Amino acid sequence: MSQVGKLGYVDSKLGAPTSGQQTTRILFNTIENPGTTSSLSFFKNFQGLTNGQTNLTQNKLDSMESMVIKTITLFQLNSANILRNFGDLAQQTLSVIVGNQTVVKNIPIHFNQGINGQAFDRLHENAGVQSDNVTNPTELVQTRMPIEIRLLTDIVIPPQVAFEVRIESNAAGYETGAVTCALAGYGKIFSAGNTF
Amino acid sequence: MALSAQDKILYVANKLGLSTLGQMQGSTGAVYDVDTEVSGQIFSSASRHQNPGVTNITENQFEVNEALLVETIAFYVKNTSGAVQNFQQVYGSGAVIVFDLVIGNKRVMKDTPVFAAGSPYTFANVGNQVNPVGEASATSYTPRHQVYMEGAGILIPPQVQWYVDYRIFDVVTGATIAATDETALGCYLFGTRVLLNFNTSI
Repeated sequence: MSQVGKLGYVDSKLGAPTSGQQTTRILFNTIENPGTTSSLSFFKNFQGLTNGQTNLTQNKLDSMESMVIKTITLFQLNSANILRNFGDLAQQTLSVIVGNQTVVKNIPIHFNQGINGQAFDRLHENAGVQSDNVTNPTELVQTRMPIEIRLLTDIVIPPQVAFEVRIESNAAGYETGAVTCALAGYGKIFSAGNTF
Repeated sequence: MALSAQDKILYVANKLGLSTLGQMQGSTGAVYDVDTEVSGQIFSSASRHQNPGVTNITENQFEVNEALLVETIAFYVKNTSGAVQNFQQVYGSGAVIVFDLVIGNKRVMKDTPVFAAGSPYTFANVGNQVNPVGEASATSYTPRHQVYMEGAGILIPPQVQWYVDYRIFDVVTGATIAATDETALGCYLFGTRVLLNFNTSI
């Protein structure tokens, strides 16, 4: 089933509105100054974040909006805006919780990365590869790439249902800059259409 | 994609009453423009810009029976000497563009981020590798800054104005980053194009 068909199917099962502007949707959320921790929860805290750090104000979509997640992106910046390895290369797992249901469970985030994992996805064959040639990278000389996990099945976030992305580790180091999670895919946004 | 690009164009054209769009020339195309005024909008001032140095359109709407199904949106930076540059290499890895695509009176893409460090949904995560002669591995990466609109290409119909509204932020601090003449932001809209074809009408 295509992602468009899947979203329409789930929305109709839930009685959610099926009208709206079809579009590409990317949701993102940032955690400032994460430090060393065993657990990160994205899309949980929006207080004090600007539009450059998140594009939501609550952990759910509006009543007329829904989306299908196709990829999950994670990256870590230090306080000098230099892109770093996420969690200092520690083994970490990612879960996506929608409502009361875990829809992605403890998936290892480095599995698709070249530097310390296996690139199962040819689309991202060299993602995460790090160069040793630049010993002192700057924010303008980027030596690695963000993590992007391509999901094999379509995960739906319905309207008005709380969701969360959780990263767990054994005290991974995220430094004092910021970590960001982005959920990208196909979605519907509210469209007044002929209503108004 | 649930619908092919051509089917999507014809579906929307039919909804809009554009009965002759299906007889036009199907093609591939991209339009671009740069916000040289640093106004926060791209394409809305295209009629005042040098062609093709800054833009390849004369106004931010298509002629009768011309259209573009936007399938990828990409961003770049242009300086005052006219050089096209990579967004990450000008603004640094911590920057993010947050943009809306507006067609007519309707916002069809909403608060969409494009991260300088490498954007999700480019389907080419690596971007460009810089490999100096004699070096075994890349020394740095210049990521791509694109949004691939998988499954949901959006049609810009004929004779409807469109523009991209954007702001640039620092992800770590959340502060707004002001563009300048030397760091003006440009945008490509790439996809399946419909070109006016006189064969059936003249």
